[in-house]
Amino acid sequence: MQVDKIAKLTKIVTIGLKTGRVTIKYPFGAPLVTESFRGAISIDNTKCWGCGACVLICPPNALSMKFEKDNIIIEYFKGRCIFCGMCADVCPANAISVTKEFELASTDLEDLKEYVIHRTSKCSICGKPIGPTSELRSVIKSQPVSEEYINLCSDCRKKLFAKAISIRFGAST
Amino acid sequence: MKLDEKLKNIRRSPWVFHLNSGSCNACDIEILDALTPYFDAERFGVKLVASPRHADVILFTGPVTREVLPKVIRTLNAVPRPRIVVAIGSCAVGGGIWWNTYSTIGGFPKLKEILKEQGVEIDRVVYVPGCPARPEAIIYGLLLALGYVKQKVSKVTKVVES
Repeated sequence: MQVDKIAKLTKIVTIGLKTGRVTIKYPFGAPLVTESFRGAISIDNTKCWGCGACVLICPPNALSMKFEKDNIIIEYFKGRCIFCGMCADVCPANAISVTKEFELASTDLEDLKEYVIHRTSKCSICGKPIGPTSELRSVIKSQPVSEEYINLCSDCRKKLFAKAISIRFGAST
Repeated sequence: MKLDEKLKNIRRSPWVFHLNSGSCNACDIEILDALTPYFDAERFGVKLVASPRHADVILFTGPVTREVLPKVIRTLNAVPRPRIVVAIGSCAVGGGIWWNTYSTIGGFPKLKEILKEQGVEIDRVVYVPGCPARPEAIIYGLLLALGYVKQKVSKVTKVVES
């Protein structure tokens, strides 16, 4: 029995010596972050259009959109984010990138929030808000759209177009 | 600060109690992972205890289901002051994927309001996001609660120039 116990002990000791120390010295040393790890996202405000594709795809509604009088605000709440990275996949402007940041602990919920503020552009005829200014600019860049029509809301655009067509077919006004 | 003076006594070795309020078990497994020799939270004297009456810090997981709400309030009431809560995971921080379901109340911020009505005071709360939170993130949150490390995140406001 004694021999068995000593044999077992020597086996464990040899395994322990072979493996060495496994504990990582985390707060004082580097964390164990692999290459495929997904952390919090970061929104590049120079690229973002404010189209809201990320808001629609977000499963836990961590990204939300708020419409105010002059601003459109995209709010990213890290506390509710499940770090799936679907927003980065769906973003048409490649403005969202997944970082490896995971040390997000905070004592206040407001510290976990990130705001991206877009200015609203308004219809040049009726003054109704139509969308973020940066989105309109990116549409002009990618599509040959007449600048007369881009600053109009959908109702005013329809009216103008109908008027132009009717004049072409011989209407008086 | 009175709380910081009291924290100095706890800093020697914080005893933690693991409180699951309807979590999916992922965060609970990560808490166990943080206590294993690989990450070894016991370097800081962290010890898992079986009773909330012995605990200094509560490791709180889950979105607080309606079924478990009275039990959670009773458990938190049993914790001696200063009560420190580390809310771990997206569910505990902001409701997570169950942010608008009928059967959960939506994480610790909502529970805090209910506790205020019941007269249970919480001295310090640390929110640790993650789905599930990494063992390192849990250790970091615990150390932030005890005042070893400084907070890294802050509120960010970006304005799109147009």
